[in-house]
Amino acid sequence: MPKTKIIEAENLTKVYKGKVKAVDNISFSVEEGEIFGFLGPNGAGKTTTIKMLNTIASITSGKATVAGQDVTKHPAKVRDVIGVVPQELTADDELNGMENILLSARLHHVRGDEAKKRASELLKLVDLDGAAGRRVKTYSGGMRRRLQLAIGLIHTPKILFLDEPTLGLDIQTRTKMWEYMSGLNKDEGLTIFITTHYLEEADGLCNRVAIIDHGVIKVSGSPSQLKERVGGDVLTIELTTGPDITDFLRSIPDVHDVVKTDQSYRIKLPKTEKALPAIVDGVTKKGLEIKEIAFTKPTLDEVFLEVTGKSMRDEDAGESESWVQNIMTERMK
Amino acid sequence: MFDETLALTNRALKKWVRNPFTIIPGLATSAFYLALFGNSFNPTNLVPASAGAAAKSAILSTTFGGAATYITYLTAGVICLIIVFNMSFGGIDIVLDRQLGYFNTLLTSPIPRASIYFSGVFQNLAKAMLLAVLTFVIALIIPDGLKLTSSFGILELLGAFAAFTLLGLGLSCIFTSLALLARSIDSLIAVVNFINLPLIFMSSSLFPSSSFPSWLQSVSNVNPISKADEAARILIVSGNPAANGMMGTFVGDMLYLVGFVVVMALLGYWAAARAMKPE
Repeated sequence: MPKTKIIEAENLTKVYKGKVKAVDNISFSVEEGEIFGFLGPNGAGKTTTIKMLNTIASITSGKATVAGQDVTKHPAKVRDVIGVVPQELTADDELNGMENILLSARLHHVRGDEAKKRASELLKLVDLDGAAGRRVKTYSGGMRRRLQLAIGLIHTPKILFLDEPTLGLDIQTRTKMWEYMSGLNKDEGLTIFITTHYLEEADGLCNRVAIIDHGVIKVSGSPSQLKERVGGDVLTIELTTGPDITDFLRSIPDVHDVVKTDQSYRIKLPKTEKALPAIVDGVTKKGLEIKEIAFTKPTLDEVFLEVTGKSMRDEDAGESESWVQNIMTERMK
Repeated sequence: MFDETLALTNRALKKWVRNPFTIIPGLATSAFYLALFGNSFNPTNLVPASAGAAAKSAILSTTFGGAATYITYLTAGVICLIIVFNMSFGGIDIVLDRQLGYFNTLLTSPIPRASIYFSGVFQNLAKAMLLAVLTFVIALIIPDGLKLTSSFGILELLGAFAAFTLLGLGLSCIFTSLALLARSIDSLIAVVNFINLPLIFMSSSLFPSSSFPSWLQSVSNVNPISKADEAARILIVSGNPAANGMMGTFVGDMLYLVGFVVVMALLGYWAAARAMKPE
C-alpha cells in the first residue's frame, strides 16, 4: 500500500520584495512517518521553504499542502497539526524550562494536568527533567536546543519541522539530538521535516534527502541512492604544474569521469585500488609532479559537488556579525 | 483569544518582574522628574524671597490651579510622561521578540493573531500603570511634594487613575502596532522619538497650556496627554470636581479619552494585522 503524502509542494516559488528569488519552482513530497531532509548551504532557500510550509511566509507562486491542508487557504488548520523547532534559540531566558514548555502548551491548547504530564514526559525524554526548574539563562546551548525540541512536541504534532536543529552544537550533543529525533520517528511514527547544512546529519538521520542550492532542488532520494549516483570512489590528484592531462586520465581503463579545477583532477572510478597504479604511473611517466593525492568513498558532499559544482564545506563561512547574532552566540554558550 | 492574550501578557510581565534592572530606571525617571525637575524648574523660585510667601502662593493660585506646591501640580503631568515613555519604549521587547525569532514561534502557533497584538497592548499598559502608582507614591513621600486636599478620597484616586489608564491604553494600542511594524530597534526609536517628544512638549504636563502661544494652545487642547493630565489634575489638585464646579470639564476629558482609546484600538489593530501577515 502506498504511503500517504503528508507534505506536498508543487512548483513552489518565493520571491522577496519582487526581486530576490529565495525559492525557485521546487516540487517535492514527504511521506507520512519519514524523516525528510533539506540539505544545502546557508542561503540555499531551506528556511524560506520551511517558513512557507509553516504558514509564516507567503507563497509567490505554486502550491503546498501540509496534512492535506493548503497552507495558503487554511493556515490555521495547518498550525494545529505542526510542531516547529526554529533555528533561533527562542526559549525565554527569564523563565525556567518547565514554564517555557507550559507556556507553549497553553498556546497550543493543551491544558491542566495533561499539559503538566506531557511537559514532564518530554523534559525527561530530552534529559532536562533535572533542570526543569532552572531559568533558561543558565542553560547551555545544547540544553536550549533540547528544550526547544520538547517545546515543539508539547501538543503531539503530526509533523515536526526542525530548522537546523543542531546548529552550533558539539558532536556529542548533536549525536544525542539525532537519537531523540530518530527515537521519536521510530517509536511514535512522527513525520520529521528537517533542514540542515550538516552532511552527517542528512546522511545518518534522513530517510530521504533533497539537495537544495540557490533555491533549486538539484537532486533528491535516499542518502544511499544519492551516493550511488557518484558512481564509486573519487580520487583527487593535484599536480604542481604542467599541461592539461584530462584526456590522458580519461583514457585509463576504469576511469569513469575526470573534472579539472586549476591543477586538481577529480577522477571518478569504481575502485581506487584498481586504477591507482596506472594513474600514478602514467602521470610520473609524463614527467609531472604530484603535489597531493587523496581518495574518498562517496559522501553527500561528493553528491553536492556533483550536482552544484562546488563543495558544501566551502559554503559554510560568513555568519552575520549583527548584535542578534551576538545574542544567539551568547545563548549557545 | 482571552486565554492566549493572558498567557502572553503573563509571560512578558514575569520576564519584566524577574529582571529588576528594567524597572529601576523607570522609577528613577519618576524620581528625577519630581524631585529634580520639580525643584529646579519650580516657578515659585522666580519670586524673590523679599516678596514673601503670599506672592509665591499667588502664582500657584493663578497659574497652577491653586496647587499647594508645584510638585502637586506636576504629579499628574509626570505620571502622564512616565506612561508615554513606557509606551514608547515598551515596544522594544516586541521588536526583540521578532528579531530573536520568538515572534515566528507565536505565528506558527494556533493562536488568534489578535492575542499577539492585545498581549503587547496589555503588557505595556500593566508595566506603565505599576510605574504610575509608584510615581504617585514617590510624589507623596518626597519633601515639599504632593499635597492632597481633604476632599481627595478613594473616588478621586480611582478617577485620576482611570484617566491615566485610558491614556495608557490608547497610547499602548498605537505604540504596540508601531513596534509590530518596526523591523529594527533603531527604526522604532527614531519613529517613537519623532512622535513622543512633540506630544509631550505640546501638552500641559509640565506647565499650564494657558501660558503657551495661541497656536500651541490649540494643539495642546486636543492632545490626549493634556486631556488625561487635566482630568487627573482636577482631582489631584482640587479634590472632588463637583464641589469645585469642574465636573463638566472632567467628564468631557474622560469622554474624549474613551474616544481616543476606541480610535487608537481600531487603527492599531488594523496596522498590527498588516504587520503580522505572512512575510
